[in-house]
Amino acid sequence: MKFVSAFICLFLGAFLGLGSALGAAGIVGPGMRLGGAVDVRNWTSDWTIGSEAANPWTRARVARHGLLALTKDEAVYFTRAADDDGGRLSEACAYKVSGGRLPAQWWSITLYDSTSFLPSNTDNALSFDLTDAQSAGNAEAWSFTIAPLPVDEPWVSSRAGGAFDLTLRLYKPEAGLIADPETTLTAPRIVRLSCREAN
Amino acid sequence: MRLPVIGLSAFLIGLVAAHAVVLNALPGYIMSKARERMTDSGIPVHQWRMSPRITPETQTVVRPSPDLAYAICVIDVSNGPVTLTVPTWPEYGSLSIFDASTDNVYAGSLDARLPGAPGVRTIIVALEGETGDTAEGSDVVSLKKPEALALIRRLAPSQGLYEAAAALVPVSSCGPAR
Repeated sequence: MKFVSAFICLFLGAFLGLGSALGAAGIVGPGMRLGGAVDVRNWTSDWTIGSEAANPWTRARVARHGLLALTKDEAVYFTRAADDDGGRLSEACAYKVSGGRLPAQWWSITLYDSTSFLPSNTDNALSFDLTDAQSAGNAEAWSFTIAPLPVDEPWVSSRAGGAFDLTLRLYKPEAGLIADPETTLTAPRIVRLSCREAN
Repeated sequence: MRLPVIGLSAFLIGLVAAHAVVLNALPGYIMSKARERMTDSGIPVHQWRMSPRITPETQTVVRPSPDLAYAICVIDVSNGPVTLTVPTWPEYGSLSIFDASTDNVYAGSLDARLPGAPGVRTIIVALEGETGDTAEGSDVVSLKKPEALALIRRLAPSQGLYEAAAALVPVSSCGPAR
């Protein structure tokens, strides 16, 4: 009887261990962040991404949500899922994203759905980058709008994005950014403009 | 009294063991599934393959960048070292190697504008202890397990630049070292 009870407890523990590991990796839910975290105005990153120094939780979460990510010497990745007021980014709303010079050779901001894939639309407007900022006239003071329908200014489409997030990629980041991200990075702002009325 | 102690201990042992085993196995599993998907889709081992221009319809891995042109080579060094030669690019670009555990074990710039850019980047990938003699100017990457992926990223936000990047794939190499 004792043996059976102990076996049941072991099985229950293993089941919970399996679930917690899948949860930590983001197979179920958003994943868990432990150590190495960088947070600049709610743009979050992890300097151990891609490296052997990454802890098992980071390694598993990145394998699920950022497979083939580069180490911080080559590129750093910031993700954000909320606007400046803390509201969850949603296809139901329109946002203005703005910023200035970013400390890297080249950068881009891309929209992903809750499964970490590009949303399934044909708008051909899923990112804004340094090249776009330069084309718009000023790479030191740029802005674009996120909305499910086109607008008469630089636009990133959130159509079919649901509850989405943004990834800011900084390629060949400057040394100052790695050493002191909070001071060096002037993080892009995300201001909610309007939201669709719920039916 | 004794049963709850035994039961609690068994529960905790099961919890910690399953959590650790699954967590440590996941990256390797996800990487092997990614390799499997690539080979199933017709990407041969030791041959550069240009990915289609990234769109919602063509994406195969999480969080692809639609601004970049990707080329991939599936590597297996079970039978000896592999040499990769890749031309540089007039904009941002990189050549990176990911091991079987998803670690980015090598990243080299392909940006031709940088001082000392080589024109063609050459690297040799081998199992630990099997790198042997290497040509001058080559970087050497050691692997703990024989499976790896090589990935070229080139900044190519337009169709024209994507086609220019694609034109460099036939003049790149990924194969057994001679």
